[in-house]
Amino acid sequence: MSSDVILVIVVGTALAFDFTNGFHDTANVVATSISTGAARPQVAIGIASLLNFVGAFISISVAATVANDVVDAAVITPTIVFAGLIGAIAWNLVTWWFGLPSSSSHALIGGVVGSAVAAAGLDAVFAEGLVGKVLVPAVVAPLVAFIVAGVSIGIVYRVVGRQRPGPVTRGFRYGQVVSGGLLALAHGTNDAQKTMGVITLALIANGTLSANADPPLWVIVSAATAIALGTYFGGWRIIRTTGSRIIKMDAAQGFSAQGAGAAVILASTHFGFPLSTTHVINGGVMGAGAGKRVSAVRWGVAGNIIFAWLLTLPAAAAIGGAVYGLTRIFGTGALGPVLVTLMALALIAAAFAKRSQQGSPVPAS
Amino acid sequence: MATLVETKELAETVIASVIAGVGITTVFSIAIWGGARFADLNRGGRPLAAGAAAVLGGLALLATLAAVVVGILVMTSK
Repeated sequence: MSSDVILVIVVGTALAFDFTNGFHDTANVVATSISTGAARPQVAIGIASLLNFVGAFISISVAATVANDVVDAAVITPTIVFAGLIGAIAWNLVTWWFGLPSSSSHALIGGVVGSAVAAAGLDAVFAEGLVGKVLVPAVVAPLVAFIVAGVSIGIVYRVVGRQRPGPVTRGFRYGQVVSGGLLALAHGTNDAQKTMGVITLALIANGTLSANADPPLWVIVSAATAIALGTYFGGWRIIRTTGSRIIKMDAAQGFSAQGAGAAVILASTHFGFPLSTTHVINGGVMGAGAGKRVSAVRWGVAGNIIFAWLLTLPAAAAIGGAVYGLTRIFGTGALGPVLVTLMALALIAAAFAKRSQQGSPVPAS
Repeated sequence: MATLVETKELAETVIASVIAGVGITTVFSIAIWGGARFADLNRGGRPLAAGAAAVLGGLALLATLAAVVVGILVMTSK
């Protein structure tokens, strides 16, 4: 009975995380389209929500990686997964508060790794999976997006540079509708799967599913719905950072950044790499800026973002580990997760209330 | 380290990303070039050259759409 209560809390927390993932990452998908005028904000966000939902059904490679390749499912308990999720949500909220586009994916993986280490020691973590499937792609993917977007924008300016700017800008704005859609689809395929993977991990830990099982349909549907809703209610603070504070973008740069991001994410999803869509699209935005002119990139803002990236895994791991310790103070039953959930809800409500008092920094239309 | 990192899969990811990302942007910019040149040449009274630019632009646009569809199909095939 107690383990079932914990499982319900874990699934609820995972879906809440998925919501914050969509909420936090909306900027990755729509910021470039909005800032170049390719789509009105509400239209861009509506399409992104729908395609995030669809994307979640396309593949389960990433979910399998998160469920089976990063931590040892044999030593994982639902409470460990719960603590990891709280670590990830907490870090997402901290970075949302400061308007920094950090990685929800790395927050999730960091949180679960931290709580697993706190509970069962270093043996609970598969170093091969963590390094090979998470850390190395985490470094490589944004660099590839940076290079692809930089090379692409160089080619674009060579091809259309002597044409009248009006038709060119209109053309790339139309193109951004497609590239933005592709990016939203890619985001749904990679990011929704991380939550599916974590819920699957909890179900395996609870004995509900056998080891190495695929996510059940209800997990896929609920994760897709949560990320789509989160995307729809997305965070304007990060849209502003990604869309206008890193570089001042034109439509061609927006198209190049989105095209690079979508290509990297779709290719990575195919091979089951749970990479950060945030890192990839921001790498693409920086590349599209640097490809035009290196000084076009506001490197101070870029530096803050990279600092948040570097901090995400260890910070979420530390919070995840601390939350696991806090939960265990109340024993191994459901009391710990229930109390921690209530504390987390109170903190989240306080954060949103404080932010709403300060007002949205970017108008909604 | 070599056993930790799935070098082959990572290399394939990088190559596929570069080809798809640069390729789609290139062919789409050719499509826009074709459209813009068609309008200019047509206005300048050069219908033959305008037609050629339109055909090139149209083919590039089709190639862009085909690349997007192929990309999605490849991803869904796994």
